[in-house]
Parts: sequence; C-alpha cells; structure tokens
Amino acid sequence: MFMIFGMGGAVGFLSGLFGIGGGFLLTPLLIFSGIPPAVAVATVTTQTVASSSSGVLAYIRRNAIDFKLAFVLLCAGIVGSFIGVWLFGVLQELGQLDLVISLAYVTFLGAIGILMLVESMKAISRKRTGGQAELRRPGQHNWVHGLPFKMRFRRSKIYVSVIPIFVIGSTIGFLGSILGLGGGFMMVPALIYLLRVPTNVVIGTSLLQILVTMAVATILHSINTQTVDVVLALTLMVGSVIGAQFGAQIGQGIRGEHLRLMLALLVLSVGLRFAFNLIVEPSDLYSVTIDMRLPQ
Amino acid sequence: MMKQLLISCVVGFGLAFAAPMQSQAETLVSALSSEEVNITSNFTGTDITVFGEITRDAATVPRSGPYDIVVVVEGPPERVTTWRKERIFGLWINAHSKTYTNVPSFYAVHSTRPLQEITEDDTLEDQRTGLVNLPLAPFGVRLSSAEDRRAFRKAFLQERVDLGLYAERPDTIKLLSPTLFATSIPIPANVPVGEFKVTTFLYNGGVVLSEGHQELTVAKKGFEQFTFDLANENPALYGVIAVILALFTGWLAGVIFRKD
Repeated sequence: MFMIFGMGGAVGFLSGLFGIGGGFLLTPLLIFSGIPPAVAVATVTTQTVASSSSGVLAYIRRNAIDFKLAFVLLCAGIVGSFIGVWLFGVLQELGQLDLVISLAYVTFLGAIGILMLVESMKAISRKRTGGQAELRRPGQHNWVHGLPFKMRFRRSKIYVSVIPIFVIGSTIGFLGSILGLGGGFMMVPALIYLLRVPTNVVIGTSLLQILVTMAVATILHSINTQTVDVVLALTLMVGSVIGAQFGAQIGQGIRGEHLRLMLALLVLSVGLRFAFNLIVEPSDLYSVTIDMRLPQ
Repeated sequence: MMKQLLISCVVGFGLAFAAPMQSQAETLVSALSSEEVNITSNFTGTDITVFGEITRDAATVPRSGPYDIVVVVEGPPERVTTWRKERIFGLWINAHSKTYTNVPSFYAVHSTRPLQEITEDDTLEDQRTGLVNLPLAPFGVRLSSAEDRRAFRKAFLQERVDLGLYAERPDTIKLLSPTLFATSIPIPANVPVGEFKVTTFLYNGGVVLSEGHQELTVAKKGFEQFTFDLANENPALYGVIAVILALFTGWLAGVIFRKD
C-alpha cells in the first residue's frame, strides 16, 4: 500500500518535472512491481482521469480548449477505446495480453526514447557551440490538408478534414485502453504537426479528449474484465497529485533540453526493461491464470 | 399373520445385527474455532483451529495401533489455465496451456503423520486426500504426452504452494489426550472468498473409521465487501463510481494547489 503510494508519488513527481501525464511510466512501474498487467492497465486509465481533470479545469478557466475539435477527437477516442477494451478481453482469454502489452511498450518507448534522445542531444550541442536553434518554418499546408470531409474549427483557426482527426482520436483511445497511457505525448505532436492546431489550445484540447476517453475506458474495463481496482487507483491518484507539485517546482530550475535528455533516458530504460523480460529466459516458464469461479 | 411375523423377524434380526455394529465404530466429533473468516481492508491472514474428540464407548472394539486424524480444507472450485512459455523468434511467449476445471481455489491437508504412513495410496486417492491426489481434470481434449501432463500438473501445484493457497502439512495435528485433537490451519491474506469445506477423517489401521464435515465461510466485509460486490454484480456502476472518484480527486487537487 505504501509502496503503491510512493510509486504514485514518484511518477507524479516525474510528470510534474517533465510536464507529462505519466501513464506510460506508471503502468510499467506497476507491472514491474508485480501487479498483474491487466489490472495495472485498467487502473491507470482511472488514475489518468484524475490527473487530467485538474488540468482540464485549469484550461477551461483560461479558455484554452477548442471544444468542437475536442468533441470530434473524443467521439473517435470512444470508438477506439471500445475496440481496445474488446481486444484487451480477447487477448486476456488467449493468454497473450501480457506479451502484447510488453511488445507495444518496447516499440513505443524505444521509438519515442530514441527520438527524444537525438533531439535533446542536438539541442544541447547547439547550446554548446552557440548556434541558433533552427526554427522550423512549416508551410501553411501539408498533405493532410488535401483530404476530403473538411470541417472548420474556429477556436483553433483551422479548416481540416475529419479523417486525420478521427484517426488520431481513435488511435489514442485504442492505445490508451489497451496499454494504460493517456497518450498526450503522442497526441500533442500529432495535433501540432499534422493539423497545425495552435499551441495555446493544443494541451487543453488533448487533455479533455484524454479525460473523456479514459473515463469511458474505465467503465468499459470494469464491465468487460473487472480489472479496475478503485483502492489502487485512489492510492495512485493521491500519491501522484502530491508528487506532481514537487516535481513542477524542481522542474522549473532545470534547463529544458537537460530535462528532455533525462526523460529520454528514463523512457529508454523502461523500454529496455520490457525487452529484457521478453528476451531473457524466465526463471519460471509456467504461469497460472484463474479463468472463472465455478458455482458450488 | 404371516406378514407380521415376517416383519418382526426382519426387524429383530436387523436390530440384533445393527446394535453391535454401531457400538463397534468410534465416532468423531469435530468443530471449528470460527465458522467465518472476515476479510477487512487490513486483513493479513488468520488461523482457524479445527478440534474434536474421538468418542468410544464400552462396546467399542479395542484397536491396535494409534488413531490418526486427517483434516482437509477445500476452497470453492474454479477453472484455471496453466501456461508454459517457449522461445519463439527470440521472445519468451506463452505457447502451451492446460486448462483444469473444478480445482479447489484453496487446499490444505493437515495430519498426525505423513499421509503415506497413515494409509495406502489407493485409499488416499479414493478420498482425494493429499496434493498428489487432487483430481486435475484437463478441460477440453488436447493431444499431449503423459510427461507433458505431469510437468503442467507439477508446475500448477508448485505455483499454488508458493502462493500459500495449497499446503500439505504432516505432523501438524496434536493429540492432546488419547482422544482429543486440535490443529491450527493458516489462512493466508490472498485467500479466495466463498464456502470452504472442512472434512475431518479418523483413521486406524489404514481405514477410515469416521468422518466429520464442517463449513467455513470466507467473506469480504466492510469497504472491501462493498467494492468487491459492486465490481462483480454491478460493474457498470462500479466503473461510473471510479470515474466520479477520479474526477473529484482531480478537482480537489486543482483547488488545493491552484496557483492563480
């Protein structure tokens, strides 16, 4: 119980420090500490609801949410999480859920970790040589803007096809419900670079989408596999809320590129740990799952 | 007239035959220290004492050799799958499985001596007493070698023993007097809930002389019970409550740590 609380605190600290949701660190931590992957994933979806809700409230007050865009995104997100929760149950029945979770984490954390590592190393060496950061000057339009079914979003001042929005929203909903991560670290870059959503509304909008999608995933997981543990979720919430405050304070004293380098190394090491578990021969080849309780 | 005579004859014969039979065998009186185990949020396991008395009367035939007591505690049945990982494309993946149905979720055997010293293997098998005699019926027919089946069986039992859910503990029943016995059965924190069967066997000369049956109820209480029941009986409501709790916590955190 105290260990879980501490883990919530530690992950909250990191999420405050790096400005991330933390689901992609919290789920692995729970799995490594011996909580069944299915319970870890489903419970972190609940925890994500809590951690994103205070953010959403803050962004509503600042009027920094594009509600129309968020609505389209979260409709897609709900579809995605339906598919995700369904697949979650099927994989659990087949005994391959743990494998899929591990493989997906190796892939995601590996790819994102390397990208961040390269980016932050470049930034650091640029600072050393005193060079100018190359400001990306994206063209006003890219291939995404050629797609049909366009919709106007006044708050974001964009006019784009609903197809990429739907793809982004449903992918995040799918991955979130199957892997137990909010997905902000994937959605924010996608919204900025693919849809050209202005940075001042992007975080609030994606947080609102994450909040609703994860709330739906929590309910679906409860119904489908009964893997949500409210007590565990509450412990994590309280721990992470407190940890986040300390993290945010300390994070302000560290340079951005150094923070990103640290986060990259952290992400990579978690990914490597998953890979290690898959590749190295386990000490116990056998495992037992309880399929159902029988009536007496 | 003939009929009456016949009946009285049969009854008389029966009585004459039954009376010495009844007084010959010992009877076993057994009881539990508690018929309920309550799992509350700070439950870390407990002990249940099974105690009893072997009653004999003047007509009981004298026995050579000691009495032996065997106590079996069985949890509610469940269906389980045992998986075995294999290296596929360099990754360790759950490749083979065996599903057993109707296995006890909890199983503990206590005895006065090692089971093999008390009686023959055949008797133990008939009584389904002892870890080796647990009937693990594979669910669905799959082709597999006998060696394979043994390996899966062994792995399953080992996992359960490691979790503290299965146990065979010889020499744990103390005879307080020639006819009084007691044993303390550890119930671990991860015990499943439901109705448990407690069976007490009285052995002498390798034969069961008498049996006693008790029921033990393991149930969640208080907050644990509330969440457990809700999650199982009304999962949609459970999910909604989880979301509301999360929203409330998030809102509260926002209020407490609000900067502007």
